[in-house]
Amino acid sequence: MLSVKGLRANVGENEILKGLDLEVGPGEVHAIMGPNGSGKSTLAHVLSGREGYEVTAGSVTFEGQDLLALEPEERAQRGLFLAFQYPVELPGVNNTYFLKAALNSVRKSRGEDELDAVSFLRLIKEKLKILHLDDSLLKRSVNAGFSGGEKKRNEIFQMALLEPKLAILDETDSGLDIDALRVVADGVNALRSPERSMIVVTHYQRLLDYIEPDHVHVLAKGRIIRSGGKELALELEEKGYGWVVEEERAA
Amino acid sequence: MNGTAPASFETWLTARPDDRTGAGLDWLEARRRSALDQVREHGVPSAKQEAWRYTSLKRLLEQGFAQVDDTVTALRLDDIEELLIPELDSHRVVMVNGRYTPSLSALGDLPHGVRVTGLRALLANDPDALRERINGVAGERQPLFAALNTAGLDDGLVVLLDRGAVLERPIELIHLSVGMDEPRVAQPRHLVAIEAGAQATLVERYVSLGASLYCTNSVLELSLGRDAVLKHDRIQEESPNAFHITGLYLSQEENSRYQGTNIGLGGAWARTDLFTRFQGEHAECDLLGLYLAGDRQLTDYHIDVHHAVPSCTSRETFKGILYGKGRAVFDGRVVVAKNAQKTDAAMSNKNLMLSENAEIDTKPQLEINADDVKCSHGTTVGQIQPEMLFYLRSRGLSAPIARRMLCMGFAGEVIDALHADALRERVSEQVGQRLESAPLT
Repeated sequence: MLSVKGLRANVGENEILKGLDLEVGPGEVHAIMGPNGSGKSTLAHVLSGREGYEVTAGSVTFEGQDLLALEPEERAQRGLFLAFQYPVELPGVNNTYFLKAALNSVRKSRGEDELDAVSFLRLIKEKLKILHLDDSLLKRSVNAGFSGGEKKRNEIFQMALLEPKLAILDETDSGLDIDALRVVADGVNALRSPERSMIVVTHYQRLLDYIEPDHVHVLAKGRIIRSGGKELALELEEKGYGWVVEEERAA
Repeated sequence: MNGTAPASFETWLTARPDDRTGAGLDWLEARRRSALDQVREHGVPSAKQEAWRYTSLKRLLEQGFAQVDDTVTALRLDDIEELLIPELDSHRVVMVNGRYTPSLSALGDLPHGVRVTGLRALLANDPDALRERINGVAGERQPLFAALNTAGLDDGLVVLLDRGAVLERPIELIHLSVGMDEPRVAQPRHLVAIEAGAQATLVERYVSLGASLYCTNSVLELSLGRDAVLKHDRIQEESPNAFHITGLYLSQEENSRYQGTNIGLGGAWARTDLFTRFQGEHAECDLLGLYLAGDRQLTDYHIDVHHAVPSCTSRETFKGILYGKGRAVFDGRVVVAKNAQKTDAAMSNKNLMLSENAEIDTKPQLEINADDVKCSHGTTVGQIQPEMLFYLRSRGLSAPIARRMLCMGFAGEVIDALHADALRERVSEQVGQRLESAPLT
């Protein structure tokens, strides 16, 4: 589904990703872990098409297509979704209006009909329940004045609505207390399916107690230095990142 | 440009016939003469005058407008159907080129104590009802364009609410401009008096048929008695070639409440002056504005709020979206007199620039002469935030749609202040259309 080969990317003069390889198959959940500054968020941003990153080498194909050649909205329309680490507040932009426009844009590109108001509301209420969100959220501006937990839940709610093929969760656990974390993780787990892949970017192992990954990768200094099963996350939790970074250096 | 521009705006008055409105009323003639004298004194204001520092009058002067008061009678309701808002259940007054046009109006049943009529008709039938009203709020000494309006006084909307009268449905004034063979200026004079405890909603809409060149120079005198409430929505959608001038004079007695939402979308050249005078304590004045300006458009707002008495509240919230080579001016002034303690005033002007070629000159000012007050002002001039744009695009929305959505979000605070859904929809649609065709550089 997603194939990243030898990816190098700069922010300004600094090279952040230094030859990154990653293969994600359908239905797989990959965790990407790493210390601060290892390039985790850069990877998430480059994949979703955010400005400010220059790809200098390598390739990314998504379902056989050159992902890097696509505009951010085209990536979304083809089934890529980024759950933001810091969801952006959009004062004055009504949530319902936004969600409907986003959903219809994605549906249209999938060759589906736009939803009428009634079916849209029905769908939205069903998805809200999964995330334990109150429907008063629909009347508010997108993320404006939301608590940290509400913002993160709103991200997963949007994911539930847009039904992506590949979801990238960028530090979705950051800033969440344990109850909120559980709600978010339940929401994510409810969306797991044999066709939907996920990349879970996180600093801490904690989230992976709730969202069990098929594969765990350690990202350090812009490269994946180690990959393994879910037990790798536990080992990291126990020994810290220093252990694996040291081992890499010794090798 | 070619040196043939007239030396004053007096020419606007030359085409008036002798049988003008209210001829023979000595008091009215005296006011007209005085106004004409003032027009002559004003001459053509230069850029050295603060009020005209950023806005040139040259283009306006060069048009050679004349005030023609022929009534346009050929229009039928079908012709203006696209301009009507059927969902707005209103007492509708239609004026065409500055003249009240009963055949297009639909006043419906008015409650007891409410009078809605044309100025010209009332001057013919009951001039005494207007003697205290004309210049009653604007005063005898007037700025240039108000003086021109007074000197050329012809017709307008008159709304009088007696003490305690309550209007459930809004009064909707549709001021329609229709192109004529020669460049024409209409100078409607609207008088609205809401007496003690009375409540009303007024909607003013300035619209046109086609893209004709004309000028509207309107003056409104609004007075709110004690405890009176007026909600006032003004939507300017003049033709892209039009000149639009408004002078709004507001006087508020004790504990009265006024909310005015000014939407400025059309016109090639638009100037709005808003004056608020508090006459009694604990009155509230909430002024909101949204303006758009694109290529070949200038829009200029001057706001002058005078806290002459204690314990009044005023809010001035103006937002602008500028694109292409659009230009806007915001000159807001709040004056707090020495004895106006406990004044609460907050003025803000925020501008969203969609292009590097657009220009805004913004100047909010506070002049505070009292020591126990709460006053603030703020200005922002900014662009669309890239991270906001990216957030929307990452959800599958194209860049133009995302940009428009953010603009509508920015404008929402003002559009939401309109009193009816039908108006909010109309304005949102109009704003959306303008932004859709807006160049992005």
